[in-house]
Amino acid sequence: MSELLKLENVRAGYGDAVVLEDISFSLGEGDSLALLGRNGMGKTTLLSTLMGAARQHSGSLRFAGEDLAIVPAHARAHRGLGWVPQERDIFPSLTVEENLTVVATPGHWNLQRVYDMFPRLKERRTNMGNELSGGEQQMLAMGRALMLNPKLLLLDEPLEGLAPLIVQELLSIIRRLTEEGGMAVILVEQHARQILPLTRQALVLERGRAVYCGDSETLRADRDLLDSWLGVAAH
Amino acid sequence: MKALDIIHDEHRALGAVLQAFGFVLDGIRDGRFEPDFALLAAMIEYITQVPDKLHHPKEDDYLFVKMRERIPAAAALLDQLEAEHAEGARRTAALRGALVHYQGIGPAVFAEFEAAARTYLAASWSHVNREETELLPLARTGLAAQDWAEIDAAFEANKSPWSGPAGEFRALFSRIVNMVPSPMGVGASASAKG
Repeated sequence: MSELLKLENVRAGYGDAVVLEDISFSLGEGDSLALLGRNGMGKTTLLSTLMGAARQHSGSLRFAGEDLAIVPAHARAHRGLGWVPQERDIFPSLTVEENLTVVATPGHWNLQRVYDMFPRLKERRTNMGNELSGGEQQMLAMGRALMLNPKLLLLDEPLEGLAPLIVQELLSIIRRLTEEGGMAVILVEQHARQILPLTRQALVLERGRAVYCGDSETLRADRDLLDSWLGVAAH
Repeated sequence: MKALDIIHDEHRALGAVLQAFGFVLDGIRDGRFEPDFALLAAMIEYITQVPDKLHHPKEDDYLFVKMRERIPAAAALLDQLEAEHAEGARRTAALRGALVHYQGIGPAVFAEFEAAARTYLAASWSHVNREETELLPLARTGLAAQDWAEIDAAFEANKSPWSGPAGEFRALFSRIVNMVPSPMGVGASASAKG
């Protein structure tokens, strides 16, 4: 598995405020990582740093062999970073199909493959973005990120606020994405036990610092450790 | 203790369908949804087939057997849970019969169908809760590492435990998600009244 992403001693935040300290980890092509921690521990800031939406103060951040510090935020998606933010950010005045095709980049993921993965989007392809339910919006946000054919997919709490039935469906889809191994995935979630089985690696943040970086299976098996870092979110 | 995680995962998936079933019953009773018999049949198929064919046999054949050997104090609880597993087939037959009756006669017998369904849902929730709050904590503390290694190996021999041998239950679950009206599922709003 050749290296895709490598962070070394990254310090980052917003403006002069520092949120993340001394973050180091690496991710191979097709690899998967669960990014865990209680609220406010820096998970979203880490994704924002990768996308250039937060400020990298120091340290090294390399993606596909390139120093991301010199790649402007607007160019990072075209380098192969696909971001599904918590807010989903779909275009309300475009149809489902327009939302998908407007960002399309040639590659494995095309409209047909996205519709195969999310049959509901095909049924709703002529509906406007603002006519979708929360679950449909999340499916569209994920489908749109896939249409970019990213090398690395960043999913920021994709299950938040959704009904249990839809959560189970999306977990199954994320499992397929990580198992197929065509792209690397970083998955931010509150509920560790639901996502650790889907990923190979895990990183736990506490007050902006990494307190665990290693194998998901080892973390998953250590109930006491999970409870101490994540509390109720461990379950 | 991967077996415990598998049981938790299966309970979560089953619980999601049980919750959606209650939501659909509420909607029909309150006049918000037209009865969608394809959806009702799919949900009944899921909540009857997956526990009886995939979930309960693993518990009965591996976890319960080992717990009987190692934790004598669990005998009464295991007797009760095994009886509930055995009772499942009778209850599901009654539920399927109630659906056929409702589909054949129409809204006049919705109350009968709802009563049968609510009885089934209550029994299922009660069973899952008993396992989560009594059985699994007892298993976690009462079985040794070697016991868990054997149970885990048996559970893991079945990859994608709740998908079914050919992925049929995975497909059934997706079909249900796509039919249950929003916000519980992503089903067509056209299936909802007004």
